Amino acid sequence: MHRADSMGRRLRISGTFVIIGLLIEALCLVWSKPIAFVVLVCIGGTLIGLGVLFFLYSLVTAPAHTTDSSGAAADK
Amino acid sequence: MPTFAIVILVLISAVLAGVIVVRPAITLCRAGKILAFGVLFFLPLFSLVAGMSNEMERSESTAFCLSCHIMEPYGKSLHIDDPSYLAAAHYQNHRVPADAACYTCHTDYAMFGTFEAKLGGLRHLYIYYLGKPPLPQNIKLYKPFNNRECLHCHLGARSFEQGATHNADPATLPAIKANTLSCISSGCHDVVHNVGRWGDKVKFWDGGS
Repeated sequence: MHRADSMGRRLRISGTFVIIGLLIEALCLVWSKPIAFVVLVCIGGTLIGLGVLFFLYSLVTAPAHTTDSSGAAADK
Repeated sequence: MPTFAIVILVLISAVLAGVIVVRPAITLCRAGKILAFGVLFFLPLFSLVAGMSNEMERSESTAFCLSCHIMEPYGKSLHIDDPSYLAAAHYQNHRVPADAACYTCHTDYAMFGTFEAKLGGLRHLYIYYLGKPPLPQNIKLYKPFNNRECLHCHLGARSFEQGATHNADPATLPAIKANTLSCISSGCHDVVHNVGRWGDKVKFWDGGS
């Protein structure tokens, strides 16, 4: 239960970074000013990168679990 | 990939990421895990690379260069109805691609030319937004225009190799090719954009893109 909550929280944080980064990218793509490229790379790219890295970090640091606990989590 | 397709891809990625944020519990099953990997790893990176590639391509367009207010007179100079204006003659006769006119002449045709052009663009942005941009007529090239950029297209062309003026003096053609005599030196093709020196008699061609 604790593991699922912890992972869920991390996915939320990672997903939030990715969503904000993607929305900034979408805005930059329809914004035809030269500064759009800089905003896309510096802000959008950084947020997307942070989200992806945090997601990978979550996977790597997720505590190991047994088949039973996995089944129990899936049941919930 | 067209811009609208990338925007749709980005929005779909954001919506799918939203599903993970709202319902992280779906990642407990195998399909959810695959979805999370796709949505939080593969799609964002793919969207970012596609978006950056699109922006890089767009930064080569004439419209992009002229979107800075300070470059407007240079855009206007492309429409001057006078063949002695080098930039206008190239643009209007499609000697350079009309949709990438600035980039075609002002990018070094060397190994890191494109990279240097992008760095130059960042420098322009810095000056435009955070520095004190010069008046359009006071804009100068960072370094003298290299004949290599002209010869990229003109070298070997009959009009260049057998041109009367180029061959009037046997030393001229080798000097041009060696970049010791500039194509835009005084008395040659020295009327390029001439922003700020047009006078009242200059006319504009209203055709083209």
